[in-house]
Amino acid sequence: MKTPVMEMKSVSKHFAMTAALSKVSLALYPGEVHALVGENGAGKSTLIKIMTGIHRATEGEILLDGDPVTIQNTQQAQALGVAAIYQEPMVFPDLDVAENIFISHRDLGPFVKWRDMYDNARDIIRTLGVTLDVDIPASGLTLAEQQTVEIARAISLKVRVLIMDEPTASLSAHEVTQLMNVVRTLREQGVAILYISHRLEEVFEIADRVTVLRDGQHISTNPIADVTSDGLIRDMVGREIDDFFGKRTKRTRQDVLLSVRGLTKENVFTDINFDIHRGEVLCFAGLIGARRTDVGLALFGIEPADRGEVSFEGQPVEITTPEQAIALGIAYSSEDRRKLGLAMSMSITANASLPTLRKYLSGLGLIHRSDESAMAESYRQKLNIRTPSIHTTVGTLSGGNQQKVMLSKWLNVKPKLLIFDEPTRGIDVGAKAEVHQIVNELAAEGVAVIVISSDLPEVLAMADRILVMREGQQMGIFDAEDATQENIMSLATGQTTLAAAG
Amino acid sequence: MNLVRAAAAKLRSWEGFLLLILIITVIGNAIQSPVFLTVGNQINLFQLSIEKIIVALMMTLIIINAEIDLSVASMMGLSACAFGWLFLHGIPVPLAMIAAILVGTLGGAFNAFWITRVGIPSLVVTLAMLIGFRGLARVLVEDRGITGFPEWFDAMGQQPIIGPFPLALLIFFALLILLIVVLHFSAFGRYVYVIGNNAQMARYSGVDILRVKSILFIASGTVAALAGLLFAARVGAVRGDVALGFELDIITIVLLGGVSIFGGSGSIFGVLLSILIVLNLRNGMALANITGHLQTGVIGSLLILSVLIPNIRQRIRDALERYQAAR
Amino acid sequence: MDISKLHPQLLRVLALLFVLVLVVLFFSVVVDNYLNARLFNRVSTSVAIIAMIAVGQTLVVLTRNIDLSVGSIVGFTAYFVGQLLADHGDLHPLLAVLAAVGVGGVLGAFNGVLVAYGRVPAIIVTLGTLALFRTMLVEYADAGSITTIMLPPWLLELPRTNIFSIGRLDFRLTVGIALVVVLIFHLMLTRLRFGRRLYAVGSNPEAAVVAGIPSQHVVFFAFVLCGALAGLAGFMFLAKFGNITVVAGLGLELRSVAAVVVGGVNIFGGSGTIFGVLLGAVLVDLIDNSLIRWAAISEFWRDALLGMLILLAVATDTVVLRQLNRLRRHRATKLTDQSTEPAAESRQ
Repeated sequence: MKTPVMEMKSVSKHFAMTAALSKVSLALYPGEVHALVGENGAGKSTLIKIMTGIHRATEGEILLDGDPVTIQNTQQAQALGVAAIYQEPMVFPDLDVAENIFISHRDLGPFVKWRDMYDNARDIIRTLGVTLDVDIPASGLTLAEQQTVEIARAISLKVRVLIMDEPTASLSAHEVTQLMNVVRTLREQGVAILYISHRLEEVFEIADRVTVLRDGQHISTNPIADVTSDGLIRDMVGREIDDFFGKRTKRTRQDVLLSVRGLTKENVFTDINFDIHRGEVLCFAGLIGARRTDVGLALFGIEPADRGEVSFEGQPVEITTPEQAIALGIAYSSEDRRKLGLAMSMSITANASLPTLRKYLSGLGLIHRSDESAMAESYRQKLNIRTPSIHTTVGTLSGGNQQKVMLSKWLNVKPKLLIFDEPTRGIDVGAKAEVHQIVNELAAEGVAVIVISSDLPEVLAMADRILVMREGQQMGIFDAEDATQENIMSLATGQTTLAAAG
Repeated sequence: MNLVRAAAAKLRSWEGFLLLILIITVIGNAIQSPVFLTVGNQINLFQLSIEKIIVALMMTLIIINAEIDLSVASMMGLSACAFGWLFLHGIPVPLAMIAAILVGTLGGAFNAFWITRVGIPSLVVTLAMLIGFRGLARVLVEDRGITGFPEWFDAMGQQPIIGPFPLALLIFFALLILLIVVLHFSAFGRYVYVIGNNAQMARYSGVDILRVKSILFIASGTVAALAGLLFAARVGAVRGDVALGFELDIITIVLLGGVSIFGGSGSIFGVLLSILIVLNLRNGMALANITGHLQTGVIGSLLILSVLIPNIRQRIRDALERYQAAR
Repeated sequence: MDISKLHPQLLRVLALLFVLVLVVLFFSVVVDNYLNARLFNRVSTSVAIIAMIAVGQTLVVLTRNIDLSVGSIVGFTAYFVGQLLADHGDLHPLLAVLAAVGVGGVLGAFNGVLVAYGRVPAIIVTLGTLALFRTMLVEYADAGSITTIMLPPWLLELPRTNIFSIGRLDFRLTVGIALVVVLIFHLMLTRLRFGRRLYAVGSNPEAAVVAGIPSQHVVFFAFVLCGALAGLAGFMFLAKFGNITVVAGLGLELRSVAAVVVGGVNIFGGSGTIFGVLLGAVLVDLIDNSLIRWAAISEFWRDALLGMLILLAVATDTVVLRQLNRLRRHRATKLTDQSTEPAAESRQ
């Protein structure tokens, strides 16, 4: 067999105390599409970041054409012929397609030869087998077209290893087909492609070999012909989750709190229908790009839907601002703690009291510091937030403790409905179990909880019912006892319809 | 115990650094001139820049909110000129004063409209109005100088009214206390910080961002107009170039006080220290026969240094961390 | 015709031309004998100076920065070169120009170092150097001023030198020089890789880093060039006015920003054309010069109007761009929808 273009030999990466990656080996051959699959947090992104020079491996070595190399930064990775394309393309919106492709070239001299550049750009685009005008500005391109531009840029830089990280997450079905054709063309040209995707149907369509990662460990590498979809899912899920979380006890169903009919937002999601009862945990399952968060944001009034009816406690409501949602008793805890969840440079107290600051005001509009601190202190004890003091800046806490601060902030609203987006993303196992416990207690107190999670074991452990979404469509609702990881996955990946999965 | 540690940390912070500079400046000045530490000289020192420091207090809130108002000095000019114009046209002085302050409120609301409703960044809006408000001021008085205000009006700006304190200084202290309370003890102040820190997050927490920003710009316009009137009263005359270029000094004072240009951090106390430093520095330079222009140059350099030094400090810290991590 | 398919910059230049014609028409109705050779001569010579500063400002704004110190740079170089020529009357004209450009470039480099490598926001740096450079001028002038009698005759002749005349329309040498500068920088921005990188850095700074563009150097040189152009403008300023005091060039920073923004350069960088900026400078100056001659309204309205003009220009940009993007996205989704259907059918 040929020598691999790029080979990772028992590479490990530690962040502080936790191992994100331990002794993973992977070989990429020219003209091969190598799929990399695994759950969120399995270590895929860490591996990519090591390959592109963003992170450096703690242990292990990287070989290029059989010679060991160290990759210090992205420029060096580029020079070695390693490039990556992410979900969110990085283009220059004001420059046209051809310039976007050639702007970073260093060897073309000081003058821009527009005609040559357009010709070369057209050639590259043509070799990709797509049609795209090279003289229109990138700001007018669709996401898929922007991705094509990035791929073209990589090719123009003589890429030998192309990493594609969830490239299809936000693409429509037709655009995915187009991208698949591009990938095939690249393979024929001898490029080694590392293809990361949650969508197994794509993996089966395009990959030559597939590697499964789980919890930072290499589980298996097999030719695609030797694996089945069930086998892959089993490898990805792996561990016995039941010991871990403990299955929910079935509760008696109370009255309907929120009912949603035909909720639609143009080009985002269509015809979402569900009821959620008091004391119920309803999980939204699906892949990245399934638009679950958008439904949550619509219910919370950040990005209101265009059509559809929502009724809350039996009354029809139209929620257009977060203030209104909070006043009704709806809370939304964001998946993006850093950008949308917490003020990182402010104290635990200030973060916890933000949505409910009015509760702590004296007649003159001044903040009752002692009441506010007492509240923060009570949540610190109740949720077991590990911190020297409630005046500590949130940014210095661990992910799990930050998540608990965010929970305090929303629990203090005394919500009737809590929309909890990715409750355990980026937090350690212990904190995960605690967060689950809190959600259970909330449900026991009669709070309705919508959990949006990409972590299937978590969904199965927490949910009373599970709503599966795919590309803005509601694929079906399961009762927890009918659900398995396999049938959720096959709905979410679009391999079956509800009838077949049931 | 915690308080002691907090106090120690404070001393090592920017505020501590400012305090040190202040002490050095004051000692230097006191050695240079025996009259420096007299109450009269200290009040005089405030009095000479009183309008700027009043506006700087309000600007503190705007910059903590991660916005900027470059139009304040032009608004000072506009309100003074509006007052002069009304006075010339026979409007009674008290009425003209109220109208001049209303001009500030309206001007602030005008800024707020373009910033919050149209969505143009405050830097651009207030840069345009730096030109626009000044232009309106010139339209009103053209190249005249308007004087001959009633004696009580001029006296308001020049004579002490309570003890040794003139009105403007009392207004400064009142505003200082008011803004300390608002910024550091009220819900509104908390929102100002949170929005400056992370505006998107504030929106996701149900904070009405546009309302907070609107209030700030309207207040900024109003305070600037008030300061413009005080200037007119102190000088006893109004011209088209009242307060020309003051925005530079005002913003410098705020940034020097440790308020981050990117918003979210800083305090009125830091700005108060910075006010004291700038006033003493200017006074000291005047005592040492350094001209006003050179003083402006020194202030300009201080402005750059107040951002550059923390940047360099941060970069050294990062480099050290990387070095330690590499080992 | 589908407006959304037109290049936004072309649209902007057309709109500016339209507004220019409107302004001219308006004033020729309200002002007697408005359109004459004097108007042309006056506007063209005054645009010659502001256009050069605006071109420099454009380079900086394209990279998502701003230079508020250009007025002070103009003042300082005008005085500096004036003093140089007063002391050495036999200095070669070219050397005098080079000195102006060099001094301006050095001052620009000072800004550039602090912004690009010191990572201090441009608005802070240049607000500071706006004061600092002016102070340098005051110190250097030491309460003196430059007057025409101190200057060599060739310099005083320069602004009155014509390249050619058509009837009473004079094409001055200074206008010619300015046009050459405009053309050179137009070519730089459209033909040179460096010019294109100015756009790239302002268009998406994060992507610029990922794509391996040396953003810091690009920003630094933008400031150097901006300073150098302000220096050249300082030389022209000296030639035009002959009398230079410490307030020379005061307020030019705002006029240049106005010309740039009205000329369609996005204040957040990444887009804009030199020709648009030239038109912006002409429009701003034309309104100034016309107001002076309109008896119905005080000439003092010019700054108030300028402020509104900037605001309206940016507001139009913001709103129109938002609409254009919405249109485009709409078109894009419609396109994919159409093409999805047959694909879906074929799968079944």
